[in-house]
Amino acid sequence: MYNNALNLLAILILISSFRLVANKRQNGYITTFRLQSLLLALISLIISVKSMVETKKFDEVIIIFVLIVVFKVIVIPMALRKTSDKVEYKVEKDFFINIPISMLLCCGLVVLCWYVVHHVEGITNPTTENYLVYSLSVVMIGLFFMISRKKALGQIIGFLVIENGLFLAAMMTTDGMPMIVELGLFFDLLTAFLIMGIFVFKINSTFDSIDVNKLKHLKG
Amino acid sequence: MIPALIVIPILAGGLVWISKNKLFIHTINLIGAAGLLIISILSLIDINNNKVITSSGLFKNLFYMDSLSGYILFITALAFFLVSLYSISYFGQELKEKVITISKLKLYYSLSNAFVLSMILALTTRNMGVMWISIEATTLASAFLVGFYNNKRAIEAAWKYLIICSVGIAFALLGIILLFYSSTVKLGGARISGLDWSYLIKYAVSLDPSILKIAFIFILIGFGTKIGFSPMHTWLPDAHSQAPSPVSALLSGVLLNTAMYGVIRVMSIVNKCLGNSNYTGNLLILLGVLSIGTAALFILVQQDYKRILAYSSIEHMGIIALGLGVCTPISIFAALYHTFNHAMTKLMLFLATGNVYLKHHTKKISSIHGLIKTMPVTGVVFVLGTFAITGMPPFGVFMSEFNTVVGTLFSKKYLVTALLLIFLSMVFAGFTKQLGKMFYGRNVNPEIKQGELDIIGPAVLIVLLCITVLAGIYIPTPFKELMDNTTNIILGIGG
Repeated sequence: MYNNALNLLAILILISSFRLVANKRQNGYITTFRLQSLLLALISLIISVKSMVETKKFDEVIIIFVLIVVFKVIVIPMALRKTSDKVEYKVEKDFFINIPISMLLCCGLVVLCWYVVHHVEGITNPTTENYLVYSLSVVMIGLFFMISRKKALGQIIGFLVIENGLFLAAMMTTDGMPMIVELGLFFDLLTAFLIMGIFVFKINSTFDSIDVNKLKHLKG
Repeated sequence: MIPALIVIPILAGGLVWISKNKLFIHTINLIGAAGLLIISILSLIDINNNKVITSSGLFKNLFYMDSLSGYILFITALAFFLVSLYSISYFGQELKEKVITISKLKLYYSLSNAFVLSMILALTTRNMGVMWISIEATTLASAFLVGFYNNKRAIEAAWKYLIICSVGIAFALLGIILLFYSSTVKLGGARISGLDWSYLIKYAVSLDPSILKIAFIFILIGFGTKIGFSPMHTWLPDAHSQAPSPVSALLSGVLLNTAMYGVIRVMSIVNKCLGNSNYTGNLLILLGVLSIGTAALFILVQQDYKRILAYSSIEHMGIIALGLGVCTPISIFAALYHTFNHAMTKLMLFLATGNVYLKHHTKKISSIHGLIKTMPVTGVVFVLGTFAITGMPPFGVFMSEFNTVVGTLFSKKYLVTALLLIFLSMVFAGFTKQLGKMFYGRNVNPEIKQGELDIIGPAVLIVLLCITVLAGIYIPTPFKELMDNTTNIILGIGG
C-alpha cells in the first residue's frame, strides 16, 4: 500500500514533466510546475507520516513538506506568474524543437536513464532502482526543457524541475538527507530563484526581450 | 578558530553599510581580509601540530579541517587579502571617474565577503552536502559580481554563468545523493555521519564500488563545470572577461581551486574503495588533457586580453587535474604546488589587466601599444607574468609544471607527456604572439599619458611578483611539510 502510493506519485511526477515539455505557453509551464511540486509534497508527507507512526517520534521530513508547500506550490509559482506578466509574455514560438519530436526525445531519455541505472550493479533493491530511474529522468527532462526553450523564464522553470528531480531522488532512495542539508538545499534553491528572477528583469530591460537567443555578444 | 573564519566575513560584509565614508569602507574590508589571513595562518600552525582541527558543541559534526583544507584556505585568504588591498586602488579610480557610486562599492564589498564566506564554508565543512551547498552559494554570491557593470555583455556573461553553473552543479548533487545512498545501504542508516567525508574515507572499503563509480562521474561533471573543464567550460571565458578585474582574479585564482577541492575529496574516497584501479585517474587525465588542448587552441585566436587569461585558467586547471589523475606522490605534489603557483600568478596577471583597463578603457589587444613605456611597473609585471604563466623558469609555475611532466613520465604515460608538452608550447606561442603586441612599440593614442595611476595597485603587483619568483626558487620547510602531509591525505597514507 505504502510502496504502491509512493510508486504511483513518483510516476505521476515523471508524467508531469512530460506535460511540461508538451506545453506551448508560459502560463502552462507554471501550472505544471505547481502540480509537480504538489505531488512532491505529497510524497514527503507520506514518508514523514509513515515514519512518525512507526517510530512514534517527530520526523524531520515533515518540515520539508511544509517548505515545499509554502515555497514551491505557493510562493514561487506566484512570483513566476507576476514576472511573466511584467516582462514580455507574448510567445509566438518559444521552442527550438517542435513538440512531437521533443516528446520522442524525452521518451528516449527515460530509456537511457533506465539503461544507466540498470547497469549499476550495486543497486540491488528493485524499488530503489525504479525510483532512481524516475528521478534521473525528471532531471534529464528538465535539462532538455532548458535547452529547447528560448525564453529566460522557461530556463528558470527547467532549473526548478531539475531541482524537483533531485529532491525526489534524495527522498525516495535514502528517506531524506540530513536535515541541515535539506534546509540548505532549500535556501540555496530560493536564493537561486530570486537571483535568476532579478536577472530576468535585467535582461528584459537591457535587451528589450527575455529571449535568451539574443544573448550572443560573447563568443570564442 | 573556525567560528572566527565564519564570523569575520559576515561582520566585514555587514559593517561596510554603516558609513558613507569611502576610506571607512575600504578600511573595514581590509581589516576583515587581514584578519582572515592571520587566522588561516594560525590554523595552519595548529594543523601542523595536531593534524586536524575539529569544532565542538553544536556544530560538532559540521566543521573539520586537515592539511588539505588548511592549505587551500590559506591560498584563499592570501588572495583575498591582496585583492582587497588592490580593490582600494581599482575602485577608488572608478569612483573618481564616476563609473560606480558609493553604494555600488558597498555592494561589491558585501558580495565579495559573501563569496569568500561561501568558499570558507566549503573548505571547512566535513559534510559533503554542506560542501555542495556552499559551492552552489559561491555561484549565487558572485553572479552579481560578474554582472557588476550591468551592460549588455556583463549581463549576458552573468546569466550564462548562473545557468550553466547551477545546472552543472545539480549533477554533483545527484552524485552526492548516490554516495549517501551507498553509505546508508552498506554502512547502516547513519543519517548524521552518512555524508561526512572523513567517515566515508574511513569506511570507504565497505562502500559499493559500482555506485561509487557512477557517483564519481556525476560529481566530476558537476564540480568540473565549476572548475571549467572542457567541454563544460563555456561560461568561464565570458564570466572572467566581463567581471571587474579584482573579481576576475578571485574567480580564477580561488574559486576554481575550491571546486577542485570538492573533486579531490570524492576522488580519495573512490580511490580507496576501488583499491588499485586507475578509474578516477583516467577520467581526470582525459578531462585534463582535453581542457589543456581546448585552451591552447582558443588562446591562439583571442583578441581580448582578459579572455586569454581566462582560457589560461582552463589550461592550468587541466594541468592540476592531470597531476591528480596520474596519482603518484610526485604528481600530486606538483598538482598541489601548481594550485598555489597558478593562484598567485593569475592574480598578478588579472590585477595587472585591471591597471591596463583603467588606463586604456579597452580590452582589445590591438588598440594597446607600448605598455612598457606608458605604464612602467604594470607593463613590466605583465610581461614577466606572461612568461611566468606560460611556465618559464625561474617562476613557480615552471617548477610545478616541470614536476607534472616528470610525474607523467615516471608513470610511463608517454602519450600524455607528449600531448602535454605540445599543448604547453602552443600556449606559450599563443601568449607571446597575442600579448606581445601590447608591450612593445610606441603608444599611438595621444590621450594616454605616461605613468601609473596610483601607488597601491603597482605595489600589490610587485608583492605578487616577489611571491611568484620566490616560489620558483625556494620552498620553506614548513610549507614543504604541509604539502607532504596533504599529498599523504590525498593518497590515503596515514590519514
